[in-house]
Amino acid sequence: MQTTFAAFGKRSLRAVTKQKAVIAILAMLILMLFFKTNFYTSYNLLNVLKDAAVNEIIAFGVTLTVIAAGCDLSVGGVMCLSGIVSIKLINGGMDIWLAVIIAVLCGALVGFINGFLVVQQKTEAFIITLGIGMLIKGVNQQLTDAHPVSCTNMEYMKIANGKIGGVVPNLALYMIVIGLLVYALLRFTSYGRNLYALGGDYDVAKYSGINVVATKWTAFVLSGTMAAVAGVLLSSKLNTGSSIYGDDTALMVNCGVVVGGTSFAGGVGGILQSFIGLMVLQLLGNCMNMLGIAPYIQQVCQGVVIVAIIWLDCYGRKRKREDV
Amino acid sequence: MTKRFSLKNFLLNYLVLVAIVLLVIITIMVEPKFLSGENLTNIMRQFGPLSFVSLGMTFVIIGGFIDLSVAGIISLVAVVTVSLIDPLGQVQALIIGVALGAFLGFLNSMVLISAGALTQAEALFITFGMSAVYSAIALIYTDGATQHMSWLTGNQSIFDAIGSGTVGILSVSFLIFLVSLGALWIFHNKTYNGRAISYTGGNKVAAELSGIPIKRSVVLIYTICGLMAAIGAVVLFSRITTAAPIIGKGYETNAILSVVVGGTTLKGGKGSVLRTVLGVLLITLMSNCMNLLGVSPYMQIVLKGSILVVAIWLDNRKEQ
Repeated sequence: MQTTFAAFGKRSLRAVTKQKAVIAILAMLILMLFFKTNFYTSYNLLNVLKDAAVNEIIAFGVTLTVIAAGCDLSVGGVMCLSGIVSIKLINGGMDIWLAVIIAVLCGALVGFINGFLVVQQKTEAFIITLGIGMLIKGVNQQLTDAHPVSCTNMEYMKIANGKIGGVVPNLALYMIVIGLLVYALLRFTSYGRNLYALGGDYDVAKYSGINVVATKWTAFVLSGTMAAVAGVLLSSKLNTGSSIYGDDTALMVNCGVVVGGTSFAGGVGGILQSFIGLMVLQLLGNCMNMLGIAPYIQQVCQGVVIVAIIWLDCYGRKRKREDV
Repeated sequence: MTKRFSLKNFLLNYLVLVAIVLLVIITIMVEPKFLSGENLTNIMRQFGPLSFVSLGMTFVIIGGFIDLSVAGIISLVAVVTVSLIDPLGQVQALIIGVALGAFLGFLNSMVLISAGALTQAEALFITFGMSAVYSAIALIYTDGATQHMSWLTGNQSIFDAIGSGTVGILSVSFLIFLVSLGALWIFHNKTYNGRAISYTGGNKVAAELSGIPIKRSVVLIYTICGLMAAIGAVVLFSRITTAAPIIGKGYETNAILSVVVGGTTLKGGKGSVLRTVLGVLLITLMSNCMNLLGVSPYMQIVLKGSILVVAIWLDNRKEQ
């Protein structure tokens, strides 16, 4: 009995040191106890979930590409694109759900192109997706003439702004459902296991008979699709589609994924880690707002936290390399 | 034995030159104004800030890294330099500004080395974080307000000269560009440290095992990149005579774009500052031509993005 407890303690300790993001969240939660703010109200905590939902959904998709030893920096552009497309189509008189489906398909198409370039043509993932993101930003500006567009059909707003039972925001529910689906995909299907395998070692996976090209390609398509879903939700939440959203989203989300412990080397990580990693950044913003810290200082803190956590990540790997 | 001339190889290697020539011919046919003296001076001016930043970025990419923090460095250097013209005098302000840029680049390299970050992706995210910090410091420093040079009382003849002065038919900023190009070319091709950068980018493990000081290379490439970004910042605010704390936004992607389009490969190890000049020339000429032809600015972004994607794709084809 004693030993199992000790083993359990040791194991959980190792899990915590491995999960720097968990420590960061706990530190923030404890720190907030000492200040008299509205942080610990159900309203605020639900709000954190609601604000995080859009980025979290993007992160779930990006996680797939990062596990496959890639990454996707075009998600910011895709997010804007799908919002703009769906609003424009609805304003043009199309049925809401059809418009949403077309918008999501646009995201899938971009993901397909990313996948073609990265997997089929073997280009460097992060630079090519950065280029695609830039291209889509231009498309967004062209579509909207760089003005924000509002949706004239009020039904559209209800997608993201409702509350289940008057308490839990819809957005949080979408996030949880999508998160569970992707979790199940990674954990319980052969697709998920193949993805980890090819992320760990591409050539070994290839010679083991895994269809590496199709598997990795699908990861990019899913990433684009989920970014598009998030974009529809964002535009419904704000009832606006604009080309200016999402300038920093892509890098922020990818950072969040890495902060959570999904490594760019590929083959490790998961949905829960990404959720926690991005939550660090979201919670940090909320805490600083609650404490009334000036926005520019917030930006400094956010930058420092990103650098610090990625620094730790690299440093840990360097130590490991030197040990071996 | 002479190598057989192959049109395919020629096109792949000199694609940028071919593209430039085609672009110029088409534009002249559609819009003869392109060749007017006024427009040529204009092109020389537009050649300004981006070319400096791209020269610095070339070394980072040859070294197998990437630097997103130039956006933050440009913003911070611009606001600090402008704010120091009045209290310290223009020469001191210029020196401090350029030194600040080099220092910020040095800081980047220190963070990377201490973390042992040796891959492009790690460098990407660390410099992204550093960029957020630098731009936020620029915002705090100015309280978000734009600095206007016309509000200053001190002498600012140097900056006037950099911004709009000419020597003969060449603009001063273009001369500075030629000087830095020459200096960087000699550094890269004729010195040990310069060549060490190429080896570092080619294969870091092999370079380290052969005794190449890769840490020194990392320090050098980021310091040069910061320095060139600072010079770019000075040229930029001298020309537009204002310094907003977000002035550097977008320069990081455009600089990477020019370097890659010029033909320096992202895998590191291969490339040259001269190629980058071609890349910058293509991008500058392209926006000039598209402006003359009346293409909307949004479509220009789309085209730039597609050119970046195609350039990376071709670069990759060449490797295989």
